[in-house]
Amino acid sequence: MSLRVDRVSKRFGSVEALRPLTLEFSPGEIHAVVGENGAGKSTLVNILSGFVNPTSGSVTLGGVELRGGPLAFRGAGIEMIHQHFTLVGSFTAEENLALSAAQTVWRMTRTDDLAAKALTIGKALGWNIPRNTPVRTLPVGVLQRLEILKALAADAEIVLFDEPTAVLAPDEVLDLFNVIRRLRDEGKTVVLIAHKLSEVFAIADRVTVLRRGEQVFSRLIGDVTPEEVAEAMVSEMAPAIASKASVAGDAVLRITGLTTVGDRKELALRGLNLEVGASEIVGIAGVDGNGQVELAEVVVGIRRSTGGSVWIQEGARIGYIPQDRQTDGLAMSMSVLDNAWIEGVRRPELTRGPIRLLNKGRKWVRDLISRFQIRAPSIGTPVGSLSGGNQQKVVCARVLDQRPDLLVVVSPTRGLDLKATEFVHQQIRDARSSGTAVLLISTDLDEVLAISDRVLAISRGELSPLTTAGALVGNSQ
Amino acid sequence: MDFSIFIQLLVYSTPVALAAMGEGIGQKGGVMNIGLEGTMLSAAFGGAVVAIATHSPALGLLAGTAVGLAVTLVAAVFSITLASDQVVVGTAVNLGVLGITGTLFRNQFGQSGKLISIPSLPELYGIDAVIPILLALAIALWFAVNRTTWGLALRAVGEYPKAAESSGFSITRLRYAGCAIAGILGGLGGAYLSIGVANSFAENMTGGRGFVAIAMVTFGRWKSVPILIASVLVGGLDVLQFRFQAMGLKVPFQLFVAMPYIVALAVLVIVGRGTAAPASLGKAHQESK
Amino acid sequence: MNPKFRLPFTVLALAASILLTFAIFRLPIRASSILLYEGAFADRVGMARTILKSCPLMLTGLGAAVAWRAGIYNIGGEGQFVFGAISGAWFAKLAVNLPPVVQLLGILFWCAVGGAIWAGVAGVLFVKRGVDVVISTILLNFVALQLLDWAVSGPLQELKHQLPQSDLLPASAMLPKLNRQLDLHVGIFLAVAMCGVIFLVLKYTKFGFRMRLVGAAPLAARASGVAAGKVQLGALALSGALCGLAGGIEYCGVTGQIGQGFSQQWGFLGIPIALLANLNPLAIIPSALVGGALFAGSENLARFTNAGSTLVYVIQASVVLALVAADKRFRGRSEVSTA
Repeated sequence: MSLRVDRVSKRFGSVEALRPLTLEFSPGEIHAVVGENGAGKSTLVNILSGFVNPTSGSVTLGGVELRGGPLAFRGAGIEMIHQHFTLVGSFTAEENLALSAAQTVWRMTRTDDLAAKALTIGKALGWNIPRNTPVRTLPVGVLQRLEILKALAADAEIVLFDEPTAVLAPDEVLDLFNVIRRLRDEGKTVVLIAHKLSEVFAIADRVTVLRRGEQVFSRLIGDVTPEEVAEAMVSEMAPAIASKASVAGDAVLRITGLTTVGDRKELALRGLNLEVGASEIVGIAGVDGNGQVELAEVVVGIRRSTGGSVWIQEGARIGYIPQDRQTDGLAMSMSVLDNAWIEGVRRPELTRGPIRLLNKGRKWVRDLISRFQIRAPSIGTPVGSLSGGNQQKVVCARVLDQRPDLLVVVSPTRGLDLKATEFVHQQIRDARSSGTAVLLISTDLDEVLAISDRVLAISRGELSPLTTAGALVGNSQ
Repeated sequence: MDFSIFIQLLVYSTPVALAAMGEGIGQKGGVMNIGLEGTMLSAAFGGAVVAIATHSPALGLLAGTAVGLAVTLVAAVFSITLASDQVVVGTAVNLGVLGITGTLFRNQFGQSGKLISIPSLPELYGIDAVIPILLALAIALWFAVNRTTWGLALRAVGEYPKAAESSGFSITRLRYAGCAIAGILGGLGGAYLSIGVANSFAENMTGGRGFVAIAMVTFGRWKSVPILIASVLVGGLDVLQFRFQAMGLKVPFQLFVAMPYIVALAVLVIVGRGTAAPASLGKAHQESK
Repeated sequence: MNPKFRLPFTVLALAASILLTFAIFRLPIRASSILLYEGAFADRVGMARTILKSCPLMLTGLGAAVAWRAGIYNIGGEGQFVFGAISGAWFAKLAVNLPPVVQLLGILFWCAVGGAIWAGVAGVLFVKRGVDVVISTILLNFVALQLLDWAVSGPLQELKHQLPQSDLLPASAMLPKLNRQLDLHVGIFLAVAMCGVIFLVLKYTKFGFRMRLVGAAPLAARASGVAAGKVQLGALALSGALCGLAGGIEYCGVTGQIGQGFSQQWGFLGIPIALLANLNPLAIIPSALVGGALFAGSENLARFTNAGSTLVYVIQASVVLALVAADKRFRGRSEVSTA
């Protein structure tokens, strides 16, 4: 049975995540879907697994239209291997597999019976999974195997992998590929959402390129070259790199041998070296979860390093635009005024000793609103009721207005429309022109290429220089 | 030391132990019922009234359990269905129950709250029927949580609701079930306090036992048998107080009264919240569309 | 809820709760309402009772609001109220030879410090060991009550050593009365002034702003470099100080001594007062006055029926539940599953 999407489109508010798209996924085929962040891959995979309902169009399996939520889709034999695992961290592997297999609450059965089927499949694949330790202590490669076993034990006919290699070590990737091939050879339909072209060309039978919600092409792997695919993914790259900036000034930020751990005590940065000078934008590209957030947080001083050093020019003002504006950047229930004050309390001209000068603050925020073209009914409006673009403008305005010497920006245009994106980019460029050292960390390759003077790639907590488009999408690795 | 001290100890700690074991189940599912004090107090009152009216302590226990269940389910509607703040809801429930039981008590037994006496449960060597139930429940709850798919799903809901949801379980239903058990056991514990332990009712007679029970859940690391042991240990401090007084030791008795709270606090300090706590404890969950 | 509807909704919920409570307990609604009203407002005595009762409520309500605004659930107002009073009484015992004014100010000061210390214990345990503030403050309530019991039958007991209570303060060390016939004392001005001060702190100071920020968006506070733990500890100590001060005002204004029944749940009742006021310091003034009126009125009611102050608990609990159901602000710390 083949899985088919027919003129499927999806709109989130004003953002068109997916324009009418028609694709077919056939049994016995590994079908890779590639594209940059925001190209519509995750929307597509969420529609295929029933988590998101399309705005228009239909999903059919063997000619029958699929409706309902994720459970209905699972019932039809479609299983998704999430990038973020749906495993209970304190449960053992056995308990997690049993939970997935349980079906009903009225059973007095032992978890090892329920997990038996999945574990048998695992054994057949040559996997030796520790059954009785909490899975949070297991390496991610093993967790992914558990996710795959959950899917296989549920007799999946169609398996969706959402960027499965992003979290894996090289040898784990090879093993995963063997399993994916095996599934294909057993006649199952495999959909692979991917970032790295090298991997796509290593395993896929067919590749579909998405760009800004639209299909560029869908071809058999033999009919296309990596260069063609890379170009189709990021066609605006060439002019962007040409717009090179002025020469960088003195170093403002110098990082040597930096190591740190993430929230779950996992090693996030492994001996990272980096220098950012005045009047330059250093772009760091990479897939989510490779140490980007940790790097930014250590630089701005809200996360401790475990080794190495971070030197910042003496007296430098630091500005920080965090990745997630809704949780880290803004207090959604507070007003535009108060959200500006998050930065304002540190401005000497807006405070006197412990006191906030409210009149000056109001004047300041009104001025920000007009200069940064923030569309808000009033300064008292809760920031949560503004559009995403205007929310981000609030963050940018309060940070950039202080003319920081060092600006750390993480994925500043995620979820913004074209106009807002362009605006934010211009603000960052303007800051650079007035002498700010900018560290731009983003998962959106187009963005990094568009405004950076120098580009580096981050992978598993380490940086490597990247210069060509092919290298950026992982082709030369 | 004779055997009777042990029985006495068990009797005194049973209200807290029952409530704590029930609360443990509720918390396993991710709901912290701060209103447990109210659950127990309402059950103590309801049980006492029915036991006096019917001259049947057993019916009293049953009625108290039902009252405790009802009160807890009211709190559950707010904290689960309406996704309200669990602390605010629990605080309001405690306050409301304190008021309702106080008012009804004064209405029924007069302003001064004259001493009332409740028929006591039949006993065998000082052991009544609730004690074996307590011990059996500890085992039964352990079994339900660790050896049934219901328990597996309940634990998943308390840890990572999304995992349970994606496996096809209803977060809402499991959380209500957890709260229902917390209500039934809290109710039984409260009713036993007035009927089995005190043979009487007084305003605000639970005196913080519900809160101690909540602390015992953390002490017992969310496992029914350790919760039972912890409750008996701490409940036993009350009994020790009488023994020490009988022995004429010069220790301020207030220290003994305060001891359960101090010990509970000390335990929380030593173990911290740790990793044993359900990860989603206290967080409301809004189902995805 | 739209802020515009908040006040009318609260008033309606309050009225409905009062009537409903009467109905549930089968009290004659008209007669009871009149008794309640007369007890609280009918004459100078009633008004004075209302204001007198609202004094401790205003301060403990303010204390609860301060902590909750910073995202900390201080359920321990009762313990802080009591421990504050113990500290004040201890000072009073040591300071018998000081001039009365110094005694009075010293007692109030030490009551506030004691409350701050008692809350600070929970704060330190939270910041250092991650002990849930809700549970620790509740447990500390009971410890404080036993401490009071022990203190007034031990070190702080009256010189006659008869009853478990402390010696009466000399009248000169009590808060001055506003009127000879009424019990009303100047503490109400202090309570109202504190509401104003806290309002100003929250609105105009950096610390107040950071408290609100930590309460509204802890992650955004962290990202902007605010040490959330320190801010919350500060908020909790401030909250405790206010609850302790409430104890001081009750001690120096009404009782003149401390004993077993010293606190009439004033600390605990501050929570519904704060919630009714939407945690707004200025709104706490009317909210506490309403609370005071309910208590004063219910005393009148108790003279003719068996129902008394316990009715007030029911009324307040149901208003809080109505607000919780209607207002998003009290939605739980939720995690929305996004696919």
